[in-house]
Amino acid sequence: MRRRLLSLFLLIMFLMPQVTLARPSHTNIPSAVSPVAPIIKETMMTTNEDVLPRVELTNVRWFVNKEGVTGGNNLRLVIDTTGPVQVSSKLDDTNSQVVIDITGATVGNTIGCLPLDGDIADQVSFTTMANNNSKIIVSLTGVIDNSDYNVFTLPSNSAANKIFRVVVDINKPIPKAEYTFTSGLQNKVIVIDPGHGGSDSGAVGLNKTQEKTITLAVAQKVQVLLEKAGAEVLMTRQTDKDVYGPNASAVDELKARTSVANDNNAAVFLSIHIDASSNLIAGGTTTYYYPKTKYDVLLAQCIQNNLVVAGRLQNRGRRPARFYVMRNTEMPAVLAELAFISNPNEEQLINSPQFQQQMAQGIVQGLDAFFALAAKNGGGL
Amino acid sequence: MLSVQKVLWVIMILMASLAAGCANSTVPAQSNLLYLGATTPGNPVSTRTTTTIFPLEQETMQVTIYHATNDAMYLIPEIHIVPKNDYPAQTAIELLLAGTKNMALVSVMPPDTKLRALWVKDHIAYVDFNDNLIKKNTGGSTSELLLVAAIVNTLTEFPNIQKVQILVEGNKVDTIVGHMDTTQPLSRSEKIIKKL
Repeated sequence: MRRRLLSLFLLIMFLMPQVTLARPSHTNIPSAVSPVAPIIKETMMTTNEDVLPRVELTNVRWFVNKEGVTGGNNLRLVIDTTGPVQVSSKLDDTNSQVVIDITGATVGNTIGCLPLDGDIADQVSFTTMANNNSKIIVSLTGVIDNSDYNVFTLPSNSAANKIFRVVVDINKPIPKAEYTFTSGLQNKVIVIDPGHGGSDSGAVGLNKTQEKTITLAVAQKVQVLLEKAGAEVLMTRQTDKDVYGPNASAVDELKARTSVANDNNAAVFLSIHIDASSNLIAGGTTTYYYPKTKYDVLLAQCIQNNLVVAGRLQNRGRRPARFYVMRNTEMPAVLAELAFISNPNEEQLINSPQFQQQMAQGIVQGLDAFFALAAKNGGGL
Repeated sequence: MLSVQKVLWVIMILMASLAAGCANSTVPAQSNLLYLGATTPGNPVSTRTTTTIFPLEQETMQVTIYHATNDAMYLIPEIHIVPKNDYPAQTAIELLLAGTKNMALVSVMPPDTKLRALWVKDHIAYVDFNDNLIKKNTGGSTSELLLVAAIVNTLTEFPNIQKVQILVEGNKVDTIVGHMDTTQPLSRSEKIIKKL
């Protein structure tokens, strides 16, 4: 079944590039940096201004796409309509239902309440309303934010044998956070993980700069600043050494780092790295996160924003990734790639103590912003 | 092993090259180029679609592989049409290892990486590389993410492959260069493919 659904998805993506191009609020914006969506989302068919009589919702299909490498799943529902419709959508008060109002179409006899697999949503129901309108309710298994779903329409395409469609995309809900945060850095237990070390030099620049040296230098500056602000800082390493032991297995080494955070009930875990690419022109700052609690993306956004202000390098955004240290820490965690060691300009920059200090300040400001926002608004963006 | 240099292939880069997208928004007139050499000339950056026509009636198959964009942000599919054979997944990895001639794309595979073995069991592809996958890796989270995603996405193009377990010198590896968790078979990622 999954196999078929995936094939269908690929087929649709291949045959219908407008599936992605037609997303009105996301055009030209990488999916990893979706903007905060408006409360009510409206899409209007542009192909036909006159609302045709007796338009019906005739068929519904769905599949769950699993993002193996970047993490997270998303559900796509496709509803066929016999003509153009207008749609508007919102989350209900509990953020656990997506409610879609369809103007200009009734529910056909062929569709009714459809049970889903429960991964992202339990069921979708269809109701005909007054004045030839209808309502679609998607009941989710968890709670989502406005940025986690998107509803849009697709026009008919006779070349591809497609009729008018309403498309609903929903990201996998993140379980309700067990974490609550207070603002400020005072008394916060924060784990700082200088990437690589000892027998593992990390990436190496053209001028032989080693990643492990820079990550430690920046981490130590972060430690000084955080302790000044009253935080309790736990460093996974204080010197140029392997955290578990020389030439240990990669998992032992990474686990030793995440254990520092898990064993000490840290509030957040922050791993500092320097990026690399085989292409020397690639450059900039990226903050990676894994969406395991409601707060991971908020932490990544706060760190990324402040690193970009501090370092003024290209903003590559916050991006989801299946990285070990984020997956295996219990608390919100990010891995910040400050700059590219493979980019000659940036290799020179990261060797400068002044630049290291700026980036350290960016991290500390990012952490401060995170605690303030997490205390005020909870998780999510 | 398939020698890629000897293959006459059709390369259709469906997704436009990046530099081309900015500098030249129209499809150049020479979108069908006939290449009949032992090697494929480098695609001009402005070429959106480059097609090499097979001269003979030889049966062909389409293979989609993934390379990174120049800025190392995303993957872009590159479609090759090659002589049909009984080992298309292996051919796809060989093409991935051979790199790209498109100046707007970057191969994600470390130099001198070789395919040792490839088999599929229960819809999981086990793809075994030599240790240059790790030793000659540039390091960095971003290249590791793109490397793993390119391998997984290239192999999951085949309908019988749902997940991919990467092996090095015959063994499972916990991670390639210290960021990505590769202990389990990984499924495909659509988010990392550049949307145009």
